[in-house]
Amino acid sequence: MNSKIERELDELVTAKVITPIVEQDIRQYYAREKVAQPNKLFAIFGVLGSLLTGLGVILILAHNWDDFSRATKTIWAFAPLVVGQLLVAYTLFKKKSNAWKETAAVFLFFAIGSSIALVSQIYNIPGEMSSFLLTWIILAAPLVYLLKSHAAALLHILFATIYACNAGYFYDASPYLYLLMLGWLAPYYWMQLKSRTSDNITGIFNWFLPLSMLISLGAFIQWDNSFVFLTYIFLFGLFYNLGKLPVFENQKLRTNGYLILGSLGTVITLFITSFRFVWDEFINEFLSINDSVTTVVIGVVTLAVIAFLFSKKRLRPFNLFQYVFILFIGICVFKTEGSFVPTVLINILILALGVFTVEMGARKNLFSVLNYGLLIITGLITCRFFDTDISFVLRGLLFVAIGAGFFGANYFMYKKASRKSVSEVSVNQKMKNDE
Amino acid sequence: MNKIYLIIGFVIMVAAQWFVPGQMIVEQESVLKDGTAYKFKTMPIDPSDPLRGKYINLNFEMQRAFTKDSMIDYGNDLYVYLKNDADGFAKATIASREKLDLKQDYIKVEANYYYEDSISFSVPFNTFYMEESKAYPAETLVRQANRDSILNNCYGLVYVKDDRAVLDNVMIDDEPIKDYVAKHIKENTQL
Repeated sequence: MNSKIERELDELVTAKVITPIVEQDIRQYYAREKVAQPNKLFAIFGVLGSLLTGLGVILILAHNWDDFSRATKTIWAFAPLVVGQLLVAYTLFKKKSNAWKETAAVFLFFAIGSSIALVSQIYNIPGEMSSFLLTWIILAAPLVYLLKSHAAALLHILFATIYACNAGYFYDASPYLYLLMLGWLAPYYWMQLKSRTSDNITGIFNWFLPLSMLISLGAFIQWDNSFVFLTYIFLFGLFYNLGKLPVFENQKLRTNGYLILGSLGTVITLFITSFRFVWDEFINEFLSINDSVTTVVIGVVTLAVIAFLFSKKRLRPFNLFQYVFILFIGICVFKTEGSFVPTVLINILILALGVFTVEMGARKNLFSVLNYGLLIITGLITCRFFDTDISFVLRGLLFVAIGAGFFGANYFMYKKASRKSVSEVSVNQKMKNDE
Repeated sequence: MNKIYLIIGFVIMVAAQWFVPGQMIVEQESVLKDGTAYKFKTMPIDPSDPLRGKYINLNFEMQRAFTKDSMIDYGNDLYVYLKNDADGFAKATIASREKLDLKQDYIKVEANYYYEDSISFSVPFNTFYMEESKAYPAETLVRQANRDSILNNCYGLVYVKDDRAVLDNVMIDDEPIKDYVAKHIKENTQL
């Protein structure tokens, strides 16, 4: 049991809030739960051990032992693979624990890479890094399902992202196979979401997947001749709306990577596009065909998610963040008239988002949301100080005003929360007296 | 998961994991065993790969071939036909986008630019992996020897068979580059 809870229990017994019998019950409950839980620490250390050993083997083989004959080196190329496969077979057929499964999966994952790398080295087989990674990922992909290994799934996402970046950023080829790689994981992720919604590992997947998509999106678009911001704001719109799906929204906020990345990404993209020079210099009026297709696909998926939310009656109360990507297209239309109108409209949109967030925080009694809203407004004002000729006095006054706003809003919330807790206590007291 | 599916899945995965590197080995060995050896004059430079180790990148002298086909674009696959020159080094005779009915060996390359009846190209077998401490000295030694005009005999020994070419070794004065470098490192440490 958590030592903090233990201390609290002692205090509660001393203060006679709970009886020693209740204390015993609570202790027994936690003791039972601890036994039922698998030893997660063992699995984590097993994975770390395999990760380091696997990487170590790759580096040792990369030394290129030129005193050995070609045949000897070939045997060495297969040695880690055989060890990994035997380990996996033993784990699978002896039905070993999760810690074994994770360890074996990670070791075999790296053994596959080392074996292909060494054969390429022995026979001087040229080839780009992306094709090497692709072979590696495909050969290791079954591990996710055979062993039901989270570590193998996370490595799959990580290496798919590296593959996409390598192919897209360095060789300028859209890495469509990355989408297939993510598709391969979809059933696994879905099972995870359905059966282990609130597990920590599901939370990690909820961060890993959107982060991977965010990093890889750049590999699909042509930077020099495109409206990059539109594509990105569409992606953030998709993330935010995915984060609003019941399966994610009912969890702790910190495990909802989609919502947090969607919200932060939207705000940061809007901040960047709130500068007029961005519209003058970096935003083209037309998207390339490739980028248009990418953007439209993301947009259609986002609209489908919104339609789903609508069918589940989850679009109420109104949330401005969910529709920013649509408003952004509307603003882009004004680009044909010059950069002034879209810049002003983006600034108004950011202000509206800030005010909306403050209002949402006040309504839900959430200090974090309220302050996030205030930070959006502060960010907007700070940005405007860099590109406008407002006098120092006025800038100073604006900062003082927003600072006062921070104090005022938090104080108002604090008072509201205090009043609520006082009234709850008096209601409880009254109920006790009635009894 | 049903045990029978588990076993089938495992066997397929293991087979694939053996098949891919195994097939790479079989293909390369077949070229080394039955292919024709050619000497490609070259100069090494030394980059590094985070997973596959240190290697020398070979800058081959043979970079152009005759062709009348001005429609060849950058990146097109080309067949470059080979013969040996008077000194016994490989020489490109003709390049074509389709295979020609010639009784000569050929290599498959990637086209660069067409200029005045000739096309420049990049050969695929330009990577030679070396022991990590020898790759950089290999580059510097060859460059130095070349500058001092001592060296006119650095070449890649390449076996060619059908569409495949395998770089077997890089030779300096008919000695494998790893031995040449080891000898010079030893001489330098003895001084």
